[in-house]
Amino acid sequence: MQNIRYMPNKKNVRRVGDADLDGDVVLRADGIGKTYDSVVPFVGRTVEVLDGASVAIEAGEIVGIVGENGAGKSTLMQILVGALGADSGEVAVDGTIGWCPQDPLLYDRLTVTETFRLFGTAYGMDEEAVTAARDRYAELLGFEEFLDYRIDRLSGGNRQKINLAVGLMHDPDLLLLDEPYTGFDWETYLSFWGLTEQLTEQGTAIAIISHFVSERDRFDRILELTDGTLTDVTDRDPDAAAGRGSGNAGDATTASTEVGAGD
Amino acid sequence: MTDVGRVDRILVGVGSALRIFLREPAQLAVLLALPVIVIEGYGYAMTAFPEFPFMRMNVETIGRLSGAIYASAFLPGVMGLFQVISAVQADERLRLCGYDRFELFLVRLATVAAVSLAVAAVSLAVLARTVTVEAPAIAFGALAAAALAYGLIGMLVGAALPRALEGSLVLVFLVDADDFLSSGMVEIDSRLVELFPLYHPHELFQSAVEGTFADGAALATGAYLLVLLSIAALVYVRLTDSRGVLHA
Repeated sequence: MQNIRYMPNKKNVRRVGDADLDGDVVLRADGIGKTYDSVVPFVGRTVEVLDGASVAIEAGEIVGIVGENGAGKSTLMQILVGALGADSGEVAVDGTIGWCPQDPLLYDRLTVTETFRLFGTAYGMDEEAVTAARDRYAELLGFEEFLDYRIDRLSGGNRQKINLAVGLMHDPDLLLLDEPYTGFDWETYLSFWGLTEQLTEQGTAIAIISHFVSERDRFDRILELTDGTLTDVTDRDPDAAAGRGSGNAGDATTASTEVGAGD
Repeated sequence: MTDVGRVDRILVGVGSALRIFLREPAQLAVLLALPVIVIEGYGYAMTAFPEFPFMRMNVETIGRLSGAIYASAFLPGVMGLFQVISAVQADERLRLCGYDRFELFLVRLATVAAVSLAVAAVSLAVLARTVTVEAPAIAFGALAAAALAYGLIGMLVGAALPRALEGSLVLVFLVDADDFLSSGMVEIDSRLVELFPLYHPHELFQSAVEGTFADGAALATGAYLLVLLSIAALVYVRLTDSRGVLHA
C-alpha cells in the first residue's frame, strides 16, 4: 500500500509524478478500504466502512459525494485529505489541498483574526496575504463584524463560515468540503455556490459531501457511496438517489432560511 | 505564498497557545491562588506533626517547601494533559495545513515551559514571604524543573489516558504521592524514591533554600528532564500520526 501524505504548504507538499496522474486529474484514489475495529479485543463491533472505493477528480470539476448517514463519506474524505490512514488502496494528489471538515476543527479561545493568522502561517502565507484572504472571505461569507470575536462566542453558522474560509484561504488546487454550508443563512449559501463557480472556472477541483437532492444540478458529477464503494449516479433519476429526505435547501425561498445539517 | 520559516511558525504557534491559556479565567485563578493556598496550607498542616532527627529543617518549613513543589508541579501537569487531549484534533488540522509534528510538539512544549516558569515564579514569591531562600535563582530553577517535569508527564498521561476527569485524577494522585515521598517528611530506606520525578528537584530546592548547592541533584534533575523530554516527544509524535487521531 502506498500512503501518500501531503500538506497544502507548497514547500512541503508531496506530489506524485505527472506519469501517475493522467491529464487534468488532480486527485486519484484507488481501492480505498477502511475498517473500524474495536479497541478492546472481543468487545464491540468491527465495521467495514470502505471497501475498494475509487475516485478521480479533474481540475475545474465539481463533484458531489452522496450517501446515507454512516455510509463512510466523512471517513473517505479524511483519507483523501490525509487526516486518516486507509487500510488498503492508495491516494495520489497533484497540488495543494484545502479541507473543510464536517465539525469545525478550530481553537475556541482564539479570535477570528488570530485563527486566520495561525492557519495562514501554517500554509506559509505572509501577514499581508493572510489579511487579504481574511478580508476577502469575510466580505464574501459575511463575517466582517466578527473578526475580533472568539471562535467559541460565534454562532454555529458563523463558526462554520470560519471553518470553510480557513480551508479556502490559501487558494488550493483541490478543495475537499464535508457539508461546508451547515448552518449557513440563505444569502451565504448562495454566495458559497457562487464562489464554487468562480473557483472551478479558475481550474480549482472541488469535491463536496452533500445531502441535498436539489443540488444535483450544481455538480458536474455525483458519486454515491454505498456498501463501501463509489458509484457514478449523475444520470440517475434524482428520486432514486441516496440522501433524499435529509433536507431540501432548494425548496427554501426566504432569506431567513438556514441550511440544515446532515449526518 | 511566501516562505514562512520554522521559527515564525513556532512563534505564532506559541503566541496562540499562550493566548488560549490566558483567556481561561479559571486557569489564571489557579495559577495565582494555588501556590498561596498550598504553601500556607501545607506549612500550617505540618505544625501538627512532630520533628524527627532525619529532618533537615523544621516541619513547618518542610511543609511550605513541599507545598511550593506541589503547586509548581500540579498546574503544568494538568496543562500538559489538556494540551494533548483538548487540542489534538485542531492540531491535526494544523498539521495538514503545513505544521510538521515536531513543530507542533515544540509549540506545546514551549507553552508548557512558559507556564512552568510563571507558576515557579509565583510559588517562589509566595514562599519567600515566610521562608528565607538563600539561593533564589537555584530555587527558581528547581521549581521550574519540577513544573516542567510534570508538564511533560501530563502530556504523557494525556496520550495514554485521553480523558479530562480520569487524567486529572491520575495527576492529582501522582503529584501528591510523589511530592510527599520525595519531600523528606518520611524516612524511606529505598533508592527507589530517587526515581520519582520530584525527588531531585526537591533535593535541589531544599539545598537552595539552605544556601548549599547540591550539584548532584542538579545534574540528576537535568538528566531526568532530558529523558522525560525524549519520551514525551516520541509519544506525542506517535500520537499525532495520521492514523486515527480524529477518532481518538
